[in-house]
Amino acid sequence: MDANTIIDSLSGQFPDDIYDTDVESGIRILAKVKPENVVEVCRYLKEELSFDHLGCEFGVDYPDRNEIEVVYLISSYDHPVVLTLKAILPRDNPEIESVVPVYWNANWYERETYELLGVKYINHPDLRQLVLPKEMLGEWPLRKDYKGFPNKTAKNLV
Amino acid sequence: MDEVEQTEAEQTEVEENEAENFGYDDVPGVTLTDSNAISDFLKKTKVQDVLNWGRKNSLWFTVNAMGCCGVELLSTGMAHYDTDRFGIIPRNSPRHADVLIISGYVTKKYLPALKRVWDQMPSPKWVIAFGDCAISGGPFYESYSTHQNVDEIFPVDVFVPGCPPRCEALIQGFVELQKKIEAKKDRGTEY
Amino acid sequence: MLEEKVGPSEMIVHIGPQHPMLPGPFRLNARLRGETVVDSEVEMGWIHKGIEKILENKTYLQGITIVDRICYLAALSNEEAYVGCVEKLAGIEVPERSQYIRVIVEELSRLQSHLLGMGEYASFVGFVSMFMYTIKEREDVLSLLDSITGARITHSFLRFGGVKDDIPPGFRDDVKRVFPNVRKAIDSYEDMYSTDSIYRARTVGVGVLTADVAKDLGVSGPPLRATGVPFDIRKDEPYLVYEDLDFKVCTETAGDVYARIQVRLDEMRESMYIIEQCLDQMPEGPLFAEDTPYGKRSPVMRIPAGEVYHRVEDPRGEMGFYMVSDGSDKPYRVKIRGPVYPTLQTLPPLLKGVKVADIVAIAGSMDTCTSEVDR
Repeated sequence: MDANTIIDSLSGQFPDDIYDTDVESGIRILAKVKPENVVEVCRYLKEELSFDHLGCEFGVDYPDRNEIEVVYLISSYDHPVVLTLKAILPRDNPEIESVVPVYWNANWYERETYELLGVKYINHPDLRQLVLPKEMLGEWPLRKDYKGFPNKTAKNLV
Repeated sequence: MDEVEQTEAEQTEVEENEAENFGYDDVPGVTLTDSNAISDFLKKTKVQDVLNWGRKNSLWFTVNAMGCCGVELLSTGMAHYDTDRFGIIPRNSPRHADVLIISGYVTKKYLPALKRVWDQMPSPKWVIAFGDCAISGGPFYESYSTHQNVDEIFPVDVFVPGCPPRCEALIQGFVELQKKIEAKKDRGTEY
Repeated sequence: MLEEKVGPSEMIVHIGPQHPMLPGPFRLNARLRGETVVDSEVEMGWIHKGIEKILENKTYLQGITIVDRICYLAALSNEEAYVGCVEKLAGIEVPERSQYIRVIVEELSRLQSHLLGMGEYASFVGFVSMFMYTIKEREDVLSLLDSITGARITHSFLRFGGVKDDIPPGFRDDVKRVFPNVRKAIDSYEDMYSTDSIYRARTVGVGVLTADVAKDLGVSGPPLRATGVPFDIRKDEPYLVYEDLDFKVCTETAGDVYARIQVRLDEMRESMYIIEQCLDQMPEGPLFAEDTPYGKRSPVMRIPAGEVYHRVEDPRGEMGFYMVSDGSDKPYRVKIRGPVYPTLQTLPPLLKGVKVADIVAIAGSMDTCTSEVDR
């Protein structure tokens, strides 16, 4: 499976939802997707193009552009191409559809992005805190304007 | 969600109450007391030296491997750097142990669990702070999720610095604790 | 989420964060009916330190010591992924001698991690003497690592464009002295495992994963190779000098606990073979390229803006770093993809219908390093 054939097949199937595609090398490709139709794009990737391994799913905060980007890293067990899929959400009310029906192991990744950045996932089977204690839910520590970092209470520093 | 919170509140309520007196007031042939008069009297005599000699030569510690220093803790109890020659063996249950070794960073989520382990250990008991993270936060001193100054909560006797310290440094920490017990200058609780 | 209402003969057991038989602090809530597990749930986050936020406040060179401490059992794979990201963004070339030295220390790190993992697993099953044997061999391998890098577990050995120091003069003789003992020990472990009837009764046919289920759940590393899928990043997407070396990908077909231990035993033999090939093929030369502005002594460096994803083969699976840089001397966002994170998620489906005594055998065979899950 060549990188160029993958990009052509993907843009041919979804002409409205995929924009800004780029082939960086033989094994790395990049595409941006509209947040409304993420689940159908992922289903096409998994069934037709054999991209069946979700590597990671996380968020990046850009306060000066007023956006939060949700990044999906999808790869395959058969060929070494890695696809980076990005969805851009507004910073005030970030909501996106959950891809758990397509990739089973996205469950914990989405819970962690929810409690660290504040992105709400619609139709997630069990959206609650995973890593932080219960009292710290709602503080979104990984945003750039979080007040409690860096912590300056350490006393015995040498 | 409400039921979970209710059961958790009930659990902490049960722990905070004092242990009840179950009515063993008369055991034939034995005199019972619950004041500290006898042990206060013994502290001023030479018998206390014999008790301290027994205590310092068999310090058992809990296996509580929390961070990177936990691997060095396991290695110290094993074949190459043998601590059994000093009488120190690792024990799994906190009810069997004398020494709590805080090996690694303590996060805000873990602190209630660590306090419960400390409360379950019978006195006399001592604490060793092992590694930089237990002393001052270590390389994660800026983090939003770790508790930086652990010696405000536990009465620490010996600090072993390093990131991570070598196994020989932990053995030296135990030897320092033994010297402190012998000289009666330790902060062990209630004996 | 476990339902809180229990039936007449059911109970919920919290195998809590401080438990002697669980590898690392995480909690397993199991709902039992008699001795059989009906449903279970995994909770984690007890040693979360927020490394991704800390790395945004440190320069690139300071980040090497912090990245070391993500998974302390195999520290050099984390460093390789981080340093590889920066080298791809800035276009730095690594000379051949440094690449061979990196392969040698990473394979030594894989060897000692598998020895510890196998020994700890044996103590969970009840075979405590095996733990003592593997720790003894591991101390010899750690002294080899100590002579090159200077530390036992968190090394901080790699730099951008090279390594910190060359191998010491007596290293080849030490290798010739230590490796035959380790080979004999591995043969005796395999003999002990395959002929002990109690061990076989506890591990053969327990916790079976088929290849389709494993691919669906997102597993990678030795648990996936034990089901028959030959997925290894050293062969699929080679980095450093793995293209010039001759080694094979170890797979088994059964998919149960016994097969996973067998895969780790084979990988240890392949690691020793790789190290001996490297020592024969290594050329003479400098450790850093001549005209690089980023050398061993550059304190402040600015990396051009961009985004990159670099992945390596950790002893536990696929480890990757995604780095976003905005042109200054500190990274903008670093995302750490650990190999055990999806593997720990697969415990609830695997533990359905299993007896209580087998929970520890299955959870231990996945070889979890909890510090990597929580970061």
